[in-house]
Amino acid sequence: MTVELELRSVTYHYPGQSQPALKDVTLGTSGGRRIALLGRNGSGKSTLLLACNGIVRPQSGGVYLDCRPVAYDHASLCRLRRTVGVVFQNPDDQLFSASVAEDISFGPLNLGLSDGEARDRVATAAELCEITHLLDKPTHALSGGEKTRVALAGVLAMDVEILIADEALAGLDPWMRHQVMEIFDKLSAQGKTIVLATHDIGLARAWADTVVLMEGGTVCAVQPAAVFFANPGLVARINPFDL
Amino acid sequence: MMHVDTYAYANRIRAVDPAHKAILAVLRRVLSLVLDRPATGLLAALWAAGLALGWAGLPGRAFARVVLAETTFIVLGVVGVAISVAGAPPAVAVWYGRVGPWYLSFSSGSLYLAARLAARALGGAAALSFLAMSTPMTDLINLLRRLHLPELLLDLMTVSYRYIFVLLESMQRMVVAQESRSGYSSLRCSMRSAAQVGTLLFLESWQRSRRLDTALESRGGADHLRVLPREYLSDRRSYVFGAAILASMILVRLLL
Repeated sequence: MTVELELRSVTYHYPGQSQPALKDVTLGTSGGRRIALLGRNGSGKSTLLLACNGIVRPQSGGVYLDCRPVAYDHASLCRLRRTVGVVFQNPDDQLFSASVAEDISFGPLNLGLSDGEARDRVATAAELCEITHLLDKPTHALSGGEKTRVALAGVLAMDVEILIADEALAGLDPWMRHQVMEIFDKLSAQGKTIVLATHDIGLARAWADTVVLMEGGTVCAVQPAAVFFANPGLVARINPFDL
Repeated sequence: MMHVDTYAYANRIRAVDPAHKAILAVLRRVLSLVLDRPATGLLAALWAAGLALGWAGLPGRAFARVVLAETTFIVLGVVGVAISVAGAPPAVAVWYGRVGPWYLSFSSGSLYLAARLAARALGGAAALSFLAMSTPMTDLINLLRRLHLPELLLDLMTVSYRYIFVLLESMQRMVVAQESRSGYSSLRCSMRSAAQVGTLLFLESWQRSRRLDTALESRGGADHLRVLPREYLSDRRSYVFGAAILASMILVRLLL
């Protein structure tokens, strides 16, 4: 199933801030893409990702799922979150339950699935993220990498079509990053879209097929990765060491 | 606390229905209160040790450490009951001594009362230690959910329990960061650093609660933290243990 998510002229101000976090952002994605979202700290990446998931509600413009505007009522938010999932940078901000299996089951149950269906989703997501052996463990006893994979499983159990990872690889060792990237590759092969907000230019260069560059709350460039990285001027805007 | 939690997840009866373990613990606690004799209290404590070591397979030393900590508090608590303080020598006393203008004494009656209180408290405390060391908090919360406690209360318990460990980690990082800059080099520095940690932890809790709220919302969390109930095993031995505890404690009460 191919899902189209679009942001049309989205603007968002955080309360009390003079500058908008998102300024007239228009962006869209369809199935099976690997998108690297690049930009300096404070460029609006996280706000953009929250807008995609319906947590941030634009003050102007709109979010469209399969060409239908998200109305921010219970039904449309449920539909949006069934389609778009977010993994946050710090898994401790996401894992609320004392047990891994319980935490993963939270999303599926919120979608209105029965206990049996939710149990199946937990098992499938755990298998995909290779954490089946951790299901009975307490979340506070996990390592950083394990927590990241559990947080990922918690989102994948909702069977989302678009997975957004907001710097979810930050702080992981290379092996753990490799494991998480392998999961992303599996999802990509299933036709799911992955959006990875990252500061790791090397990773974006090696992995992404599309690059979105943000600056000051606006989207400066949306280009195929090969084209983006062939343009030293664009790369230098996020990484002076690449000059 | 961390040790208790670790054992709660790694014992032989982890998968046994927490209701069985809770009933056994509550039974011993209630019996030691109701039967109210030093021997029944001690028997309840012995039962707790037997179940913890024999059934749950907990290490004796670990269980003893927990019970010893509780015993220390209990002993300190009953000292005041055992010892009487008066301005004149007591008329009847097993022993008395003078400290300045005061006479400290204990009688056989006050000793017996203190022993009764201590045994009763020890029986109850050991019973709950068995429960705490054999049943993870998440199972206890599930049990409370089955008992239809308000969901809001259970959600608060779930999140509080989870974030105890997160905030402990944060606190340890803050203390290390302060220590690396001589934050605890003197009493004055220590007090100031500890106060700063307290303030920062409060702020961190607040910020984390907001981030958690965002993360829960992103997974469709609207009202309560609904999670899958765990499936537990039923262990028939718990019925046998329950009957044996009941019979033995009543028998001891009748005999002594």
